[in-house]
Amino acid sequence: MIEAEQLSKRYGTTLAVDGLSFSVEAGQVTGFLGPNGSGKSTTMRMIVGLDAPTSGTVTVGGRAYGAVRFPLHEVGALLDATAAHPGRRARNHLRWLADSNRIPRSRVDEVLAIVGLTEAAHRRVGELSLGMGQRLGIAAALLGDPAVLILDEPINGLDPEGILWVRHLLRSLAAEGRTVLVSSHLMTEMALTADQLIIIGRGRLLSTGPTADFIEKSAGHHVRVVTPDADALVVLLRDKGAVVTADGPQELSVQGLESRDVGILASGAGLTLYELSTQRASLEDAFMELTREHAEYQGTTHTPEAGHP
Amino acid sequence: MTQLLSPQAAVPVTDDRLSAVFLAACRSEWTKLRTVRSTMWALVLTVIAIIGLGVLLSAIVVGHWDHRSLSEITGFDPLLYSFAGLNVAQLSIGVLGVLVMTSEYATGVITLTLGATPQRRLLLGAKVVTFSAMVAVVSLISCVTVFFVCQALLASKHAGVSITDPGILRAVLGGAVKMVLIGVIAVGVGAIVRHTAGAVAVLFAILLIIPGLVQLLPQPWNNDITLYLPSSAGAAMSAVVHFPNLLGPTAGFLVLLAYAAATLGVALVLLVRRDA
Repeated sequence: MIEAEQLSKRYGTTLAVDGLSFSVEAGQVTGFLGPNGSGKSTTMRMIVGLDAPTSGTVTVGGRAYGAVRFPLHEVGALLDATAAHPGRRARNHLRWLADSNRIPRSRVDEVLAIVGLTEAAHRRVGELSLGMGQRLGIAAALLGDPAVLILDEPINGLDPEGILWVRHLLRSLAAEGRTVLVSSHLMTEMALTADQLIIIGRGRLLSTGPTADFIEKSAGHHVRVVTPDADALVVLLRDKGAVVTADGPQELSVQGLESRDVGILASGAGLTLYELSTQRASLEDAFMELTREHAEYQGTTHTPEAGHP
Repeated sequence: MTQLLSPQAAVPVTDDRLSAVFLAACRSEWTKLRTVRSTMWALVLTVIAIIGLGVLLSAIVVGHWDHRSLSEITGFDPLLYSFAGLNVAQLSIGVLGVLVMTSEYATGVITLTLGATPQRRLLLGAKVVTFSAMVAVVSLISCVTVFFVCQALLASKHAGVSITDPGILRAVLGGAVKMVLIGVIAVGVGAIVRHTAGAVAVLFAILLIIPGLVQLLPQPWNNDITLYLPSSAGAAMSAVVHFPNLLGPTAGFLVLLAYAAATLGVALVLLVRRDA
């Protein structure tokens, strides 16, 4: 279990993390989301004691990380999968980590097998592909058989099979009762993997709670209608208080009414419907909705302006 | 698809005293040192520099012996040529010492190292102890070897000395200890600067450039300051004859030890204070 209380980090004049409080429970996968530069990595670095908080505290299993001796037995972290000496062989990279925490060497071969790198164990880290490097980073996190896992962008560079593998791995780690905190910018993957979400923007907590609730609450859903009688239907729908937007000459997007109500309304007026369906919002939609005003580096659509100096 | 995890908590650690943490960190650092190629190459270079240069210069001196004037021979330090290679070897050991810290920052490994051993003072201690032990063994073997080979060459001109002669054993050991202390300074500089190129530049400036610049100062400042520079203090440790521009061997040792302690002290404070 990870607990942050009023956690803040200032770099010069930038407040990277701003009064962040959250808790990550055991037995679940907790997704850590936020736009680039929102303070996810800084927060994770503070959890494992690499960066000292400017104020506030964060504990793992009730203790500050820096106070733990042989911490790999309790916490496994993947913060940067490229963090390995390119000239060192993959197995040796895990061996020095194992030695530092009195983990038996036999465990090194065990985790190499778990991540599917047994064949590549003798290769130098610099010769590994991006995906293999990522697997080596995950192997390092699993080395001490820890009850808490902290993974920053673990599926970066993985192929579809690898992504599926990580999803199953994270879910089974949580099912074993472990605490799993995972950050990713791939929303669809998060929607499939995470039970709980912690969403931050500009270093502040924006939302926390179950993934399903978040999607429902933030973006809701709408009804998609395709009809040749669009104009007539729009009038009827608006009378019932629905918000209607036209997606095309025959396509409508309806909010505020269920598809059942739309169907009854249309048949009552003798209007033809080609298609009627409920569109669930994706986590991506919900996330975009929530972070729109918080994004630090928002892409701007450049429009030529008159009167430039 | 690979299989999943083994049951939880397979390997509980029973002994978690700080001494156990320190020993594990030393073992880990040793594994790190011997699993990268740069270590082996730097050590090979060090051995070649110490033994090769010493033997080469001694052989040249012996070859030209009959042409040397008497006055030259009177002030002759029997170890001067034997240990000429130490000046080159301190650079290869210095670079290796710098890399002990800076390669971790360059590759990002420092995040894993501090994640595995968050006790930062203890970690730097383990790095210094492990690296020093390795340098001590390699330097001692090299110094003893070059001593015996060179003195065998000089013995043909009846100019050799025995390890049991006064001050000789101390000078041979002094040569090895000097290498260790230079190595410690290098690790400290690496921890302070954190970038390989910058740290190597600082180290070379200390060992090579500053001594030259100090010589440009007016008399008697140039000679007075030179006495206390790390390079001169180190050279004094393996001198047998007393040179006017060097401290005595014990004073030289203490001065170099003070430099090493000061560098390490700053490194410890910064490592604890700064974010990784």
